[in-house]
Amino acid sequence: MAATLIIIDQPPYGSWEGREALDMAFSLAAFDQPVSLLFCGAGVNWLRKAQNPGEVEQKSVEKNLAAATIFGVESLLADRSACDQYGLAPADLPEPVMVVDLGPELTSSFSHVAFAG
Amino acid sequence: MTHLKTLHILNKPPEHGRFGLCLSGMGPDDGLLMIENGVLGVTHSSRLNNRQWYALRPDLDARGLLSQVSADRVMSFDDMVELVGSAENVISW
Repeated sequence: MAATLIIIDQPPYGSWEGREALDMAFSLAAFDQPVSLLFCGAGVNWLRKAQNPGEVEQKSVEKNLAAATIFGVESLLADRSACDQYGLAPADLPEPVMVVDLGPELTSSFSHVAFAG
Repeated sequence: MTHLKTLHILNKPPEHGRFGLCLSGMGPDDGLLMIENGVLGVTHSSRLNNRQWYALRPDLDARGLLSQVSADRVMSFDDMVELVGSAENVISW
């Protein structure tokens, strides 16, 4: 079946684009379409622990992400160089996240690749 | 609060072109206040060397970055108002 990769390269909280992409991924998963999420660029900041967005009046995206695999999202991926750039070690990332290298080898295994925003 | 010639308020992440433009546009008596997505700049601290910089507390806290910044650089909304008032000019990037 055609697999979709949704790439989030926008940081959390500053705009709605990342959340919209997450909704898109959850919708695909709800209809049993294989879908994975990749965080790259400033998007890797979605994966940082101890997010506390009460004072900016938003809900933590950490919780949305924790639900991703329950909703049937096949994998959560993080681009290695972006993690390095933002000071995120693999051990800092939440449990189901796999560190990968964004490139043709990765993207060629998906029949659809779409960016958030 | 120190006197600032220009306060640069930056809400863009380090990858945004305006992040670099803002830093290169800073003079010696200028200050930088990172807000919203701009607070991700604290993870690129080498780019902030030799600059008088601050970051807004609620935005740091939202992004899990509060523990990475020393208290004297963390601004509340009230501090931000005071900082804006103390600057001769303000540039919002």
